[in-house]
Amino acid sequence: MPTILAAAAVLMLAVLPVAAPWLQFVLTLAIAKGFAALGVAVLLRAGLISIGHAMFFAASAYGVAFLARAGVNDLGLLLILSVLAGALVGAVAGSFLVRYRAIFFAMLNLAVSMVFYALCAKLYGITGGTDGMPVPVPTVFGVVLGEPAFKSVLFYLSLGLMVFVGVAVQRYLNSPLGHALSAVHTNEIRLEYLGIPVWAVLLIAYVISAALAGLGGAIAGFAIGRVVPDFAFWTASGHLVLIAVLGGIGGVPGAFIGALFLELLHSAAVTVTDSWNLIVGMTLIIVIMFMPQGVYGLFARKEASSL
Amino acid sequence: MTFKGISTVVARCLSSLELLFSLDRGLPQSRFRLVVDGLVGAVAIGVVATTSVAAQEKPSALGLGIFTFTSGPAAAYGMPGKNAADLMIDEINAKGGIEGVPVSATYVDEAQGAQGVIAEYRRLAGDTKNQAMVAALSSANCLALAPLAEQLEVPTVGWNCDTHQLLIDGKSKYVFRPNGNTVPEFIAYAIYLLDRKPDVKTVAIINPDYAFGHDAAKIFTAALKALKPDIEIVAELYPKLGSPNYQTEISRLATARPDVVFSNLWGADLENFVRQAAPRGIFTSSQVTLALGETVLQRVPLPDGVIVGVLGDGWWMSPDAKANPETVKFAEAYKARFGEYPVFPAIKMANALIYLKAAYKAAMSKNDGKWPTRAELAEAMKGSKVATLTGTMQTRADNDGLVDQIVGVTVKTSAQQFPVIGDMVRYKGDSLMPQAGQDPLAWISTLKPEFARSLPKPGSYK
Amino acid sequence: MSNAIIPLLLDSLASAALIFFAAVGLTLVFSVLRVLNVAHGSLYSIGGYVAASICLFIASRQLNPYLSFAALLFSAVLVAAIFGPLIERGLVRWTYGKSEAVQILVTFGLFLILEDLQRVIFGVQSFYEDAPMRLLGTSSIGGVVYLNYQIVLIGMAVVVVIGLRLLINHTRLGRLITAVVTDREMAQSIGIDTNRIFILAFSLGVFLAALGGALATPTSGIAPGLGADTMVLAFAVAAIGGLGQIEGAAVASLIVGLARVLAIYLAPSLDAVAPYAAMLAVLLIRPYGLFGSVTARRI
Repeated sequence: MPTILAAAAVLMLAVLPVAAPWLQFVLTLAIAKGFAALGVAVLLRAGLISIGHAMFFAASAYGVAFLARAGVNDLGLLLILSVLAGALVGAVAGSFLVRYRAIFFAMLNLAVSMVFYALCAKLYGITGGTDGMPVPVPTVFGVVLGEPAFKSVLFYLSLGLMVFVGVAVQRYLNSPLGHALSAVHTNEIRLEYLGIPVWAVLLIAYVISAALAGLGGAIAGFAIGRVVPDFAFWTASGHLVLIAVLGGIGGVPGAFIGALFLELLHSAAVTVTDSWNLIVGMTLIIVIMFMPQGVYGLFARKEASSL
Repeated sequence: MTFKGISTVVARCLSSLELLFSLDRGLPQSRFRLVVDGLVGAVAIGVVATTSVAAQEKPSALGLGIFTFTSGPAAAYGMPGKNAADLMIDEINAKGGIEGVPVSATYVDEAQGAQGVIAEYRRLAGDTKNQAMVAALSSANCLALAPLAEQLEVPTVGWNCDTHQLLIDGKSKYVFRPNGNTVPEFIAYAIYLLDRKPDVKTVAIINPDYAFGHDAAKIFTAALKALKPDIEIVAELYPKLGSPNYQTEISRLATARPDVVFSNLWGADLENFVRQAAPRGIFTSSQVTLALGETVLQRVPLPDGVIVGVLGDGWWMSPDAKANPETVKFAEAYKARFGEYPVFPAIKMANALIYLKAAYKAAMSKNDGKWPTRAELAEAMKGSKVATLTGTMQTRADNDGLVDQIVGVTVKTSAQQFPVIGDMVRYKGDSLMPQAGQDPLAWISTLKPEFARSLPKPGSYK
Repeated sequence: MSNAIIPLLLDSLASAALIFFAAVGLTLVFSVLRVLNVAHGSLYSIGGYVAASICLFIASRQLNPYLSFAALLFSAVLVAAIFGPLIERGLVRWTYGKSEAVQILVTFGLFLILEDLQRVIFGVQSFYEDAPMRLLGTSSIGGVVYLNYQIVLIGMAVVVVIGLRLLINHTRLGRLITAVVTDREMAQSIGIDTNRIFILAFSLGVFLAALGGALATPTSGIAPGLGADTMVLAFAVAAIGGLGQIEGAAVASLIVGLARVLAIYLAPSLDAVAPYAAMLAVLLIRPYGLFGSVTARRI
C-alpha cells in the first residue's frame, strides 16, 4: 500500500511540470534540497544535529563549477565527481567531527561551514567571491542539449535518482549499520560494549550524509546555473534541518515531502507577501508543537522503518 | 595519457551506472507516460491556448516582473527602487498606461538569493501576461538571470546590475542595461579626485567585502595609477557587508594618515561608517570620497567638501533634472509619498521604466501600431536612445548603456536642510567606457594624463 | 607598526567589549536552561531598535539629552520584561528535556519570526540615535582620536562581568541558579521553584542581549540582517569560551576582538574569516571551549 502511494506521488511529480512548466525548476530544486535534508535526517537518526550541511551542498555545487571550468562537460561525470567531492569533504570533516555529540557537534559543524562560507566569499580570484561561478549546461552522454531540454532531463533524472537513492538509503537505514545509528542515539556505551565501533558507524553515516547533501548541491547547481557562497551560509544549513524535521525524519520520504512542501509553500507565499520567513518560522513551530507525527522519530524514538 | 585512461574507465563505470538509473525509472516512466498523455492533452490545450495568444493584439494588462531587495540589509538600496517603481507605474497608469495598456507589476524580493530569484523569474516568464522583466539590483542575481533571459527570450532590463561582467561577451539579445557600470562609474571618481586634489600621494580604500567592493577598488586603483603613477595605496580594507561597526577600520585609517579615503560602502553600512568616522576626525584629516554618498545625504549630516556622486546621472537636483518638469514633478511626488526625495537608486529605477516605455513606443510604431511580441520589444531596445528623467540613455551595440557620470562635492545651501552636491562635473557616458568587447582593466591601464585633461573640469556642470 | 601598538590594544578592547555584550546572554541562558537560543541575535537587534526609538522620542520632545543614557538601560529592561517571560513560558519551556534538535529548531523558528517582525515594524532603513555618543565627546590616544563612548563601553563590559559573578556567587538568586545548574532534579526536590528560576535566568539573558543591542546603537545603526550576523558571532564567542562560562565569554571576546583587529591591521582580507578561524582552532584543541568541561557525552 505505501509503495503504491509513493509511486502515485512520484507520478504526480512527473506530470506536474507538464501542466505548469515553471514548476519544473521549483520541483528540481525541491528534490535537490530533499537530498540534502535526507543527509541531515540520516545524522538526526543518531541524535546528531548538523547546522553545517549546507557546506557539503555548496562544496559539491562548487565542485561542478570548477570541474566545468576545467573542461569536464558530461552530466554523469560531473554529477559523480562532484558527489565524490562532497563525500570527500565529508570524510575529512567527519573524521574529527564525529567525536563530538549534542550541541558541540552542532556547533562544530556550524564553525566549519562558516569558515567554508567565508572562504568562498573571500577568495575572489578563485571562486568569484559573492558573484559566484557559472555552471554551464553540460552534455548528456555526448549529446549537446539546449537549455530547456537539459532542464527537463535534469528534472527527470533527479526524480529517478530520488527513487533510486531513496530506496538505497532506506536499505542502508534498515541494515545493521543503519540500526546502529538509532542505537547511538539511545545508548552509545552499550553499543561499544557490544563491540561495535561507534566512531566507524558515525563516520560512515557522516560520509553518506555529506554525499547526499553533495548530490543535492550538484543538482541545484545545474538547475540554478550559478553557484554563490550563500549556498553555505548558516541559515541555509538551518533550512535543511528545518526541511528534515518538517517532513519527519522517520522515513526517507520525509525529507522529500518536507522539501516539496516548503518549496511549494514558498512559491505560493512570495507572490502575496514579503514576510516569507515569518510564515516558515510559524509553520516550523506549529509542526514541531502540534504535529509530532512529523517528527516522531525524535520524540518517541519509534522504529520508523516502513516506507 | 593516464588521464585519458582513467576517464575512459570512469566513463564506462558511468554508463553502466546510468543504465541502472534508467532501468530503475524506465518502468514507471513508460507506464505513466501512457496515463499522462491523455491527461496532458487536456492541460496542453489550455497551455497552448494561452501561449499562442496573437501577440499583435493589445493585452488587457501589461505585466512586469520587477526584481529588487525588499528585505535584508540591501533593502536600504532596494526599497527606494521599489518605491520609485510604484510611483512611476501609478503615473504611467494615470495617463492610460503604456500605449493604452495599464501596467501591473509583480515585485520579487532578491533577498531570497539566486535560487528563489530564478524560480520567480521562471514562474513570471511562464505567464505570457508578463512581457518584460526589470531585473535586477544585485550583480550576482543579474549574472544568474542573464542566461535565463536569453534562453526564455524575455526582454530584461537591468535597472542596477553594476558589474562590468554582465554584458562582456557582447552576445546578449534580451538583456539590456540602460545604466552605467562599474568601469565608467569608478573611473569618474579617479578623474574628479585628481582634478580637485592634484597633489594626492596616498590613498586608502574601504569597500564592502563582496564583488562590487573589490571590482570598484580594482578599477579605481587602476585608473589612479594610470593617470598618476606615483600614487600609493596605503591601506585596503574590506569589512564584511552589513558590518555594524567600523571603529577598528577607522583607527587603521587614522594611523595610515592617507591624503584620500575612498569608499563605495552603501546603505546602513555607509551611514554607520560616516557616523563613526566623522567624530573621529577622518573627514578633516583626509579628503573623503564616498561613491554612493548621495544615498545618505538626507539621512546623515555629511561635512562639506566630501566627494560624492550618483553612479550615473541620476541626481534629482542636477541642472538637467531641474530643467525637466517631469523630474521635478516626480521628485516632489516621491517626497510627498515616501517622506524623502528620490535617491539615485530610485531615479535609476524610474529611468529603467521610462526606457521600457520608450521601447514599447518604438516597437509599436515600427509595427504599424500593433502590440509587439517579446522579441519585437527586445529588438526595439537595440541601439535605442531614450530621454530619461536626468539625461539621455544611449544603448550600445552590446546592449550596454551609455549614461553620463555626475560627480561633485557636498556643499550646504539655504535651499535644503541637508547638504547637496556642488562643484559638479558631468562626464559624457561614452568617454569613460572602453569599446565593446575590450577588456576594461587593460583599457584603463592605457589611459594617459592627457586623456583626463581633455575632460570637463569640476564646477563646469551648473 | 610600533606607533600602532596603543591603538591596536585599545581597538581590541573596544571591539571585545561589543562582542562580549553580544555573547554573554547566550552563554548565561545556556548555562542555566541548557538551551541554545538561536533567536538571541534577534533579541539583540530588538534591544537596539527599542533603544533607538526611545532616544529618538527623547530628542523629538527636546527632553534632557542625558536621559538617553537611562533610555539605553531602560529599553533593555523593557525588552527583557516583555520577551523574557513570553518566550520562556510560551516556547522554550516546552522544549526542556527534548533533544537539542528540537530546541535549536524551535528557537530557529522564533528567529525567523522575529527577523520578519522587525522588518515589518521598523522598516528596512538603518535605525539609530547617536545622542549618547555625541554627549561624551572624543579623546586623542596614541595619536588616534577615539570616542569616549567606546572607552565607556569597555568599562561597562568589565562591570557586567564582575556584576554577574557577584550575582551568582553572593546573592540568594545566584545560589538558587547555581543549585539548578548543578542538579536540576535535586534542586526541585528540595523545594526550589525551578520554573521561576528559569524565567528569571532567561529574562536575564534577554536583558543582556537587549542591553548589548542598546549599547551598540549610539555608534552603529540597527538594520535588517544584524540579528543573523550577531547570532553567529555570539555563537563563536560562546563556543570558544565554553558554553555557559561567563568569564570564558569575556576571554573569548578578547581573543576574537584581538584576532579581528590584528586581521584588519595586518591582513585586512582575513577580517571576515578571523572569528570563525579562531573558533575552529580553539574547538579543535579544546572541543568544549577554553573554560568548558567535558560533561555533554551521554552515558
